[in-house]
Amino acid sequence: MNSTHQQNRGPEYWRSLEHLADTPEMREVISKEFPGYDASEMVNGSRRRFLKLAGASMALAGVTLTGCRRWPEEKLAPYSTNPRGRQPGVPEQYATAYEFAGVAMPLLVTSFDGRPIKIEGNPSHPFSWTVRDKLGSADAFAQASVLDLYDPQRSRNIVDRTGEAEKRKEEPTWTDFAGFVAKHFADLKGKGEGFAILSEASASPSVTDMRKRLMAVFPQARWYEYEPISGDNELEGAKLAFGKPVRTRLHLEKASRVVLLDADVLGYHPAHVRYAADWAERRRSADDGEMSRVYIAETTYTITGGVADVRLPVNPSRLYVLAREIASKLGVSGILGQEQLSDAETKFVDAAVADLKGANGAAVVAAGSTMPPIGHALVHAINEKLGAVGKTVTLHEDPAGDRPSHVQAIADLTNDMKSGRVTSLVIIGGNPAYDSPADLDFANALAKVPMSIRLGLYEDETSALCKWHLPRAHYLEAWGDARAWDGSAGIVQPLILPLYGGRSTIELLALLTNDTLINGYDIVRRTWQQFLPKDTFERDIRRAIEAGVQNGTEFPVAKVTAKAQDFPPAQPAPEGFFLRFTPDSHTYDGRFANNGWLQETPDPLTKLVWDNAAYISKKDADTLGVETGDIIRIVLGGNYGYDIAAYVLPGQPAGVITLPLGYGRTAAGHIGDRLGFQTYQLRSSKGFDVASGATVAKASGSYQLVATQDHHIIDDIGYKGREKRSGGKGESGRVIHDVAFEEYRKDPHAALGGGRKVPLQLFNPPHTFVDTHAWGMAIDMNACIGCNACAVACQAENNIPIVGKHEANNHRAMNWLRIDRYFKGEPDDPDPDVVFQPMMCQHCENAPCEQVCPVAATMHDSEGLNTMVYNRCIGTRYCSNNCPYKVRRFNYLDYHSQDPRHEWAAPYNNIPDAQQLEQVDKIKRMVFNPEVTVRMRGVMEKCTYCVQRIHRTTIAARANGEDVKDGDIVTACQQACPTQAIVFGNLNEADSKVVHLHKNNRAYGVLAEELNTRPRTKYLAKVRNPAGDEATKGEHQA
Amino acid sequence: MSDTQQANPTDAPRRFLFPRWINYLLPLAAVAVVGGAFYVPTLFALGGSPVATSIGYQPQQPVPYSHALHVGKLGMDCRYCHNTVERTAFAPLPATQTCMNCHTNIRTDSKLLQPLRDSWVTGKPVQWVKVHDLPDYVYFNHSAHVNHGVGCVECHGRIDRMDVVHQDKPLSMGWCLECHREPEKHLRPRDQITNMDWKPAGDAQSALASGLELKKSYGVHDQSYMISCYTCHR
Repeated sequence: MNSTHQQNRGPEYWRSLEHLADTPEMREVISKEFPGYDASEMVNGSRRRFLKLAGASMALAGVTLTGCRRWPEEKLAPYSTNPRGRQPGVPEQYATAYEFAGVAMPLLVTSFDGRPIKIEGNPSHPFSWTVRDKLGSADAFAQASVLDLYDPQRSRNIVDRTGEAEKRKEEPTWTDFAGFVAKHFADLKGKGEGFAILSEASASPSVTDMRKRLMAVFPQARWYEYEPISGDNELEGAKLAFGKPVRTRLHLEKASRVVLLDADVLGYHPAHVRYAADWAERRRSADDGEMSRVYIAETTYTITGGVADVRLPVNPSRLYVLAREIASKLGVSGILGQEQLSDAETKFVDAAVADLKGANGAAVVAAGSTMPPIGHALVHAINEKLGAVGKTVTLHEDPAGDRPSHVQAIADLTNDMKSGRVTSLVIIGGNPAYDSPADLDFANALAKVPMSIRLGLYEDETSALCKWHLPRAHYLEAWGDARAWDGSAGIVQPLILPLYGGRSTIELLALLTNDTLINGYDIVRRTWQQFLPKDTFERDIRRAIEAGVQNGTEFPVAKVTAKAQDFPPAQPAPEGFFLRFTPDSHTYDGRFANNGWLQETPDPLTKLVWDNAAYISKKDADTLGVETGDIIRIVLGGNYGYDIAAYVLPGQPAGVITLPLGYGRTAAGHIGDRLGFQTYQLRSSKGFDVASGATVAKASGSYQLVATQDHHIIDDIGYKGREKRSGGKGESGRVIHDVAFEEYRKDPHAALGGGRKVPLQLFNPPHTFVDTHAWGMAIDMNACIGCNACAVACQAENNIPIVGKHEANNHRAMNWLRIDRYFKGEPDDPDPDVVFQPMMCQHCENAPCEQVCPVAATMHDSEGLNTMVYNRCIGTRYCSNNCPYKVRRFNYLDYHSQDPRHEWAAPYNNIPDAQQLEQVDKIKRMVFNPEVTVRMRGVMEKCTYCVQRIHRTTIAARANGEDVKDGDIVTACQQACPTQAIVFGNLNEADSKVVHLHKNNRAYGVLAEELNTRPRTKYLAKVRNPAGDEATKGEHQA
Repeated sequence: MSDTQQANPTDAPRRFLFPRWINYLLPLAAVAVVGGAFYVPTLFALGGSPVATSIGYQPQQPVPYSHALHVGKLGMDCRYCHNTVERTAFAPLPATQTCMNCHTNIRTDSKLLQPLRDSWVTGKPVQWVKVHDLPDYVYFNHSAHVNHGVGCVECHGRIDRMDVVHQDKPLSMGWCLECHREPEKHLRPRDQITNMDWKPAGDAQSALASGLELKKSYGVHDQSYMISCYTCHR
């Protein structure tokens, strides 16, 4: 791509189509440090008037003697009896697990003086460890779930809507509910006719056990399971192929050739943390001359597509066609008929087939939720043909898999409810009134049920329609257990007593069945007698609780072979657009709607915050005359005319509209209500994963979408100017480097393209670093998948506030760590490449910010950290203006005490240092990390390399007279990264990992050569492995 | 120079001239300068005075626990109650249980100990008032100091002579830095940490020499590290 020097052409790597087009508006945004900020508008007067006001406020500050107060009296409250081994003020870690859509995410939770404050992956669990160092990674959702624990709007009370309104108790208790249960379910005992339970997916051994007990008490009761995001097509496909449900487990670390048919294995797959770790093993090995090649045909842009080598955007109906074509070329039997393929598809299939054949069994094919069941069966046949089964893919028994699909379950239940066959309904978790298929009209059916009981974290859309609402205990508040994707069971251990008196699923089931045990802990112990030998039970259960996983409980490998069957051609898809439903990166299926951290973490690809939108391809957008933010009307099956804001996403396949689910909540809570678009309204039980035959037209009006993709753009226009002045020497500032694997293998220096290597230093460097420690970081862009785990980890660790949609639109989002997503390619390119670059303070040795601070609030320490001293900062923002990386964040308002949903900040009346005591909500305050200062209005802040973690580790080591060892200090982002793309360490230690990475041939400092900032963070160039000669060669060999 | 073409100075735009009433401000400015000469030093003196730095802050505690009695007279070690001070950032207050080790037998009917017995029965903590209260942006670590030869008395004063604990030292940043710049003057052997009476042996010169030796043996950081912002603030 050599069009860099064309007229009116933006950079080679671009953040948005506007950035690429290099529009005047975009130049304005880039050239201004604080776009949308106009000082004169704020003061509404002249400079003179501003100075007058400033002087007057200074004088008033003196008059009121704000400095002459003793700070508030503080109390110290030691325990009455100190628990054994308890050290006040020392954070402790406990293993637990979060059951998310029926699959456990193994966790290690940090608790500070009884408050769980930080969630990390469990390093001793195979489904959260990161393969090399076993740091333990958890995804963004799991990490942010701690904020839900402290959500002041979680349900606190039991709600009773039975009987006459006047006779109801004001605040019913669990005892009242138990009394009701005893009366209501007495007649049903031994029968259970008309009794139905609708539960969210759960593979928890204790829930399974309690379910059996419930069925024993109420033999005719029906148990339904529903999840709005489900991998049921995969399960159905396995049933087609093997005659029984099996669970597929990929071994990406063994696969040198991977073909994915809309399988988002690094994104929303339940095992994505481990998959990402495995995948990265075969990418990092590029330095050793070996690298995997990933093909993906996908129906929207996912992060897996972003890091794949060969990507083909297709519409959903083509997935099965591609699978058939690959299968027939590989010689799988039963492929009937012929397919017509486009040129791009033929090229994709030919290259993929050549590679699969040449990989000698070290290859794997996988399909995602949009592939119909027959396609999954075909993929199993392909893997068998490739000899991949047992190597790169293993098949496991799935005891819970023998159930109707989730869509089927909810459809059956709703029919029964409508026909009056359901008289008592218990809804455990989920939110079916909001997220069930629209054609079923679950909400109306629910209103027809005489007795409905709901156990939920929030009093949400479903609870509002039920006769009883019961507050549910958060998973950090209750005992339980769960199974990871490989089936290994682990105990869910509470870290705090229920804040609002909630109870867990198993405790509710115990209440319904009038069990002898009512306490969650006792129930879990009873269940676990099946896993642990009787004579050593006490010892073993303690070990299981401590480890968070019990070895030997994995699902065994299934001894199955694919049945020979025919794979007929697919029915042609109807005319019109495909609607492709995906989970949303902020709310998943809507359950995290009230979670501010997730709302404000930009979507990996679109960089949208606080909203969802309909993703549309550039081609379709041009045809319809639509731009990002315009409203489009989607008509499906003649029944719906749904208006939604469009987002033009490069790389989106033409003819497909992607609709992220999980927005448009009406009873989510203050943070999540009335945001975005309720896309479930377009989802029917027939078109559950994909709907086809929709018509799309431009409607009137537009909608304010906030995408942070153009915020904090690293300015390369300035470099162009400098190039002109200095005679056009060298390249203009390059932020991103990438290289093709073949070139890199031939020439190890190819990665950096022989950029300018002339040192610019005229004088001696301002600092010499002779301390034992010189902290530095390396970020491997070849391993980064843009999953946001690091961004949320940083937010949780460093008490970073959320600012709200309006402030985010003013470029004021506070994230210390942002993940810059760059596209590369022409605007009309159906498949632009993507690079993810985590960007935070680079801790430059020659820091531009330090040179302009008038009050020395930012300066260097002896270990090379660029320190930010909040109590010195007076808020000139010069540093931010002078930072070439745009990583400094200013507290324009007191965001912790501000309502993020208010367009304009609520007035700020209280004295500044009272904010941490009174203004922040008492419950919300509990999530703060006490080792990091909570910043107030008017100060600048930025990444500190997690200085609190550096100190904690060094002080502990030095107390024993030792020095920290390489790998002892782990920053929050590094800890969370599933692919270990981030490495932190001591640059003055000759053999440390970070030193090796800095010496890597791919390592470069962003803008280091151009600006001589001497950054302490180095990036490792991305290596791509596009199909080329090698693939064709493989074909000849085969 | 041709006078005819020379503009009359009075024609110069008025806005470049100060108005006449400014002249009256001149004596006022003189007063301000003279007054300021007194005001500014006074301000700084007051700012650094014990009143401003809370020296002598002596809040009333729920139980009038006397360090003079327990430490000075009975000779209890600091670490009997503040037990994790060598391992943790925070020097904890004793659990009620620690007090009750003795007070289940001694002075079991004392009215002054009623809050203690209440706590023991109810399990609710005794609410002590914090005396040595650093600002929230200071991250002081007891273990880092205690393990490197800084005695309790350096910051807390003669606790063994206090009936009611008060703040003895300014605990201001300038005061912290005095020691961070020259730690050798304040270091002692590790086994003398809790000894309130310890004095370095010999004259000033040999004391300094032994201080420097201790500094080396403890591996105390260089001054450049000791006075870096992130050492205490983050």
